[in-house]
Amino acid sequence: MIGLAPAAQDQNGASLSLSHYKLKNGLEVILSEDFSFPVVSVAVAYNAGSIHESPGKTGLAYLMEDLMFRGSANVPPRQHNNYIWRKGGELNASASEDRTLFYETVPSNQLGLVLWLESDRMKSLELTERAFEDARNSLLEDLPLRRLTIPYHDSFLAFDQLLFFDFSRAHSLLGTEDDIRNLTFEEAKNFYATYYVPNNAVLCLAGSFDRQRARDLIARYFETIPSRGNGFHPALQPPPSPPKKERIVKTLVDDLASAPAFHLGFRLSPPSSDEFYALRLIDYILFRGRSSRLTRRLENIRSPLLSPASGDIEIRGNQAVYKIFATVNTPAMAEQCQSAIFSELEKLKIAYMSESELRRFKNLFKKDYLWRISSTRERAIFLAESYLTMDHFDDLPLELQRYLAVTPREIVTLLNRYFKTENSIIVNVWTK
Amino acid sequence: MTRIRIFLSLAAVLWATLLYAQREPFRRNPPSPEPLQQLKLPPIETAVLSNRLSVSVVYRDDIPFISLQLVVFAGMSFSPERSPGMAIFAAQMLGRGSLIHSASEFQEIVDSVGGTFSVSVNPDYVLVSFHFLEEYLDQALQMVGEMLLQSNFSEREIASARLRVTYDLSEKDKDPEFVGQRHLNRLLFDHHPYAKGSFTREAIRTWNLKDLQDFFGRTYRPNNAHMILTGSLNLRTAVRKVSTYLNLWQPQEISANLVPLAFAPEKPRLCLVDVPQTQESVIYMGTSYPLPGIPEYFDLKVLNQVLGGTLNSRLFMNLRESKAFAKFAFSETAVWAAGGAFIIRANVRPEVAAASIQEIKKEIEGMASLSSEEIEQAKAYLIGHFPLEIESFEDFSLKIADIKARGAGDESWDTYYERVSLVNAERAVAAAKKYLFRPFLIVVAGDKNRLADQLAEIDSIEVFDNKGQFLTTVNRKGAADEARGMRPEFQRRPRQK
Repeated sequence: MIGLAPAAQDQNGASLSLSHYKLKNGLEVILSEDFSFPVVSVAVAYNAGSIHESPGKTGLAYLMEDLMFRGSANVPPRQHNNYIWRKGGELNASASEDRTLFYETVPSNQLGLVLWLESDRMKSLELTERAFEDARNSLLEDLPLRRLTIPYHDSFLAFDQLLFFDFSRAHSLLGTEDDIRNLTFEEAKNFYATYYVPNNAVLCLAGSFDRQRARDLIARYFETIPSRGNGFHPALQPPPSPPKKERIVKTLVDDLASAPAFHLGFRLSPPSSDEFYALRLIDYILFRGRSSRLTRRLENIRSPLLSPASGDIEIRGNQAVYKIFATVNTPAMAEQCQSAIFSELEKLKIAYMSESELRRFKNLFKKDYLWRISSTRERAIFLAESYLTMDHFDDLPLELQRYLAVTPREIVTLLNRYFKTENSIIVNVWTK
Repeated sequence: MTRIRIFLSLAAVLWATLLYAQREPFRRNPPSPEPLQQLKLPPIETAVLSNRLSVSVVYRDDIPFISLQLVVFAGMSFSPERSPGMAIFAAQMLGRGSLIHSASEFQEIVDSVGGTFSVSVNPDYVLVSFHFLEEYLDQALQMVGEMLLQSNFSEREIASARLRVTYDLSEKDKDPEFVGQRHLNRLLFDHHPYAKGSFTREAIRTWNLKDLQDFFGRTYRPNNAHMILTGSLNLRTAVRKVSTYLNLWQPQEISANLVPLAFAPEKPRLCLVDVPQTQESVIYMGTSYPLPGIPEYFDLKVLNQVLGGTLNSRLFMNLRESKAFAKFAFSETAVWAAGGAFIIRANVRPEVAAASIQEIKKEIEGMASLSSEEIEQAKAYLIGHFPLEIESFEDFSLKIADIKARGAGDESWDTYYERVSLVNAERAVAAAKKYLFRPFLIVVAGDKNRLADQLAEIDSIEVFDNKGQFLTTVNRKGAADEARGMRPEFQRRPRQK
């Protein structure tokens, strides 16, 4: 046991009990007790996503998420779900570019069951050739279906290629059909053996449990799972790409699209940079809530019947970007919208935003932040993800305050640094 | 000699494996559950203001939010006869402007208080849900007060709302799930006020400012509403604050128009709603009944769990996992003020729609024989899942609003475990006989060219277009031959030369 760092703190009125420690095998454990309801959520996150794939081996991380439900030494194939459902519990999993996450919420008296299930697949997944073939075939059936039925599908992939630039961050999470067809059973086993190990994972419990009892159960089920060894370092990534100095504009034609659209993106600082607090706030100023600047600005141009334009920060490993997507009625309207976006950005760059307007966006941010700890499931996921993304997890109690302390000056500085025409990438999508 | 060495090596490996397994025997089987923790729910305190608005408060201080839920008994069934859908339209117009603030300014206020604002409508009531940071209770109540007391609907906002509803409707007309459910509701609630939940483009065109103001003035009254606040506040504070912003909201007598639902349909009916060129087909099966008593409500709940409540229930396991017919197959019990309905819905492959209906019927018949083990499993699920349904702040406040809206009584909050526990196989079978072993209305929504022939194998079908207009009747295959005493399959047999 490396140590226990208990920390009960106040998140602007929200009490968040929090402690964390590491097992001998390197598994990080986070405990957050909340006795409001007799419910407990467990999240296990592995530092394993598509950014860990090699060229020619894409789709492996996504495939592995599926394989984790196809049986382990003591749990028959597909029975993981049934064990949880029979007790009235809920579960799900998600794979992303950075990590793969598994989570369950159950009545609190079933905590042992969840730890038994999760430890069994971490320790001894039953990877059979048949399970591998089934999972691969299912993905191979799904991929062309997506391409042939989801409008703008290819344009999102093309936009990512331009925005993220290097292979590890730019390629699709789902992989390409050619790569998936060529994947071997041995490669899947190696991926599991490399990344699904305790010293590459975090286990988080949130909800109603006795701390000592939880620690005993965790020690029982997880402590003897072997680690990968001291030199293990799975996530080697290229350095983040700096902002660009040249504007890129591409145009594609999409057979499935019923309306023209455009993607517009900017490369930002790495997610761990101190600038990130202000960049998150900029996201709120631009596109969050009904009263955000670009939402309002585009509402005046676009038809109210089109689905709302969206903007968001996306993080892949150590690279963050800002992505905007909007459908429009005509190509001319796309140009009009893009001009409006840059014109609104210019307005924001030259004058400090009023305190009251900035407070509005901070309140929206605070709401969303607190919402993420308002149920045990959200909290378990939030804590597990925070551990994987933050340089100093112990700083978590200070996080919200840092966001709320962002000044109008910082906003203007970062808008001028990153949201520039010459750092923009545009992909226009026209209909056939 | 080599064989002996191989044998010894294998034996050593086997022995080591067994030894290792014995060292951790706890891994072989799931652990036994610990004792179930009691669910302690906070009390619901209620007061009635001088204008007869009921205000309830539930204390919860784990998160710095307040949830305001306003139930107004102005649901779909309250729409005027000549304006079906008016209740939905009125609900949509909430927040679209007052004498003081425009719709866009209201949006700014919602964002400023760290809020989320939404309005939903069901057959009985409208639910205004407003969650916000706790320090902004005054601003939030002021906004809600303005919406209710100083609403001012401009022609521009009305035109915009009508355009949006029309567009949504035309989009939904292409969706077999929406079209199927709408058709089921229309026919199941035929001549009942609940049928007014569905409306046409023609009806939308008749919506106007005067009717909207009439409807609003007639139904949006404090004596026809109930406000529920959840958060770190007590009843006294809540009453004081709500009175400050809503004391001018005037009560007015409201004529009750609750018409109890009856058992329906009287005989089985099979309808096909044509959604041209869709790749999906959706089956809806429904039967309505008068309001069940509270014990029967729990019997039905357990019964539903066995039949189709979740991914582990019989319908899903049969139609999806075993037969691979369906994307999903579920059942649900709906309870409203006027009665209830048992509804089954399944999204199936078009080529097996008829076979799926037969399987669903078999599963319903299977409710005549339920083992105690299966009932206990269903109860374990419902008891285990209940705290999960209310643990998030949002779900918690919605549940309280639902209890208050249904007039279920505060005791239903605390007695859930007990009432589920009392259900046994005998009671569940009795509930099945009373509520499920009745004629069902079956609606299949999909491409009629792919469905009509196979459905006609089951029964005569009434065919409708995707807007609900009757097109034709297709007789059951072989019905005429049966009438002449011939077996229907005889006609389908190829001629022998």
